[in-house]
Amino acid sequence: MRQRSYGRDSGLTLRITFTMMMLAALWVVFMGLLFWAGIPWMFVLMFAIIGAAFQYFGSDKLVLMSTRARAVTAHEEPKLHATIERLSQMADMPVPKKIAIMETHVPNAFATGRNPKNTVIAVSRGLLDRLTDPEIEAVLGHELTHVKNRDVAVMTWAGLIVIAAGFLMQWLFIIGMFGGFGREDRREGGGGNMFMIMIAVYIGTYAVYFLAQILIMALSRYREYAADRGGAMLTGAPMQLASALAKISNDMYRIPERDLRQVEHANAFMLVPALKGNSMARMFSSHPTTEARIERLQNMQQDMERGTPFRI
Amino acid sequence: MGIFSAIFGHNKPVAPEREKFFSIIGAAFELQGNSDFRLREKAGLVMNPAESQYFDNLNSELHNLLSVSERSTGTRFEIADDDYGTRWAVLDDQDFEDLVTTVHMIAETVADHGYGNRLLASVFAVEFSRRDAYIIYNYKSGNFYPFATAGNHERDNALELRLGEALKAMNVPVERRLEN
Repeated sequence: MRQRSYGRDSGLTLRITFTMMMLAALWVVFMGLLFWAGIPWMFVLMFAIIGAAFQYFGSDKLVLMSTRARAVTAHEEPKLHATIERLSQMADMPVPKKIAIMETHVPNAFATGRNPKNTVIAVSRGLLDRLTDPEIEAVLGHELTHVKNRDVAVMTWAGLIVIAAGFLMQWLFIIGMFGGFGREDRREGGGGNMFMIMIAVYIGTYAVYFLAQILIMALSRYREYAADRGGAMLTGAPMQLASALAKISNDMYRIPERDLRQVEHANAFMLVPALKGNSMARMFSSHPTTEARIERLQNMQQDMERGTPFRI
Repeated sequence: MGIFSAIFGHNKPVAPEREKFFSIIGAAFELQGNSDFRLREKAGLVMNPAESQYFDNLNSELHNLLSVSERSTGTRFEIADDDYGTRWAVLDDQDFEDLVTTVHMIAETVADHGYGNRLLASVFAVEFSRRDAYIIYNYKSGNFYPFATAGNHERDNALELRLGEALKAMNVPVERRLEN
């Protein structure tokens, strides 16, 4: 029997499928709720799509701005450029449009941009200083895989329901504050019933928002695993990525808060989120724990050593 | 890459495609009738080693394998790593068909061990329009592309385009790859 290498992890595929199905089910529930309550669902959907489109087309600029990453030319950072070019060629994808550096000691990296042609890859000065060349290569492989997997697109459009529910929550809040619905109801004489419906919509929308957020975060964690895997496949060195992750998450605890704050708005995009302590419950974390990621990379390495690489 | 591969984060490498790959033999022989084109009897396979025992031992495995084929086909070989950690198997043979077959045999051996995604390219040295050029097979896309240098770090795109057209006319799958 021939053995071929497969870049897939069937457990991960199953969980991504399940999450997507749950999100679809949540859409049905949410739209049903709006329909039932007589809320103009088209309007809500349209606003959400506009919001998502802004996120989709502007994510690169937004993240670059909030992290104060600065695009560098091949003259300024020849080695970084050469490494990224080489990895892109190995991955058979276009060389990222912008390569940027965050002038901070926090060792981290991110990739953003809606498609491979509009990609920005940024690494921090701390990362370049702290990691060895093969580790840097492993990190860049992880980031390039995010681009290859179209993570910005997938996460933006999967997150549409969060945006939609979020909008509706704000509107309901404003409407509730000014008592818009209440007045209208009293005129029509059906105030009690309408009030109950609004309460139901309010609670329902909160529940949808909450559940969708949990699903999106789970999806984000799966995509981190997928990027770890794809990156390690690209460089052929899972242990270099594991070592880089370990170094980065260890360093996080030693870095002053002030420096962490500089990158924390863009946490969802980062290689390792800049969070101190256990401030966020795991369920709401966009990234798996470093330990879990390293364990998976170790399993990958074991598969490779057995001569059945990347097969599960 | 398809939308589903993207959504699920699959990275399925392209398997070495025998048909496409071997199309270079017929094309090269037909082109050789043309005075502009000559084979330089040299080929190479480039791969990016994984950090694993298999790749640590690959050199000796390839030595065994290639020694056997050297005896039957007379293909001389050399295995070396370059500065980027890329591994090269460089082959030397007057018979172009033997070169192509041997390159394919190495690729298959590596792929059979599950390391097909470590294969980067194979390179065939040719002379086109009295200039040194290369025909490169890209294992990631399963296509060929022409490569020629002008000076030190520049590529001769004009020559590449001409060679690419010549190959296309022989029904070789050629991809556009002019950047750098």
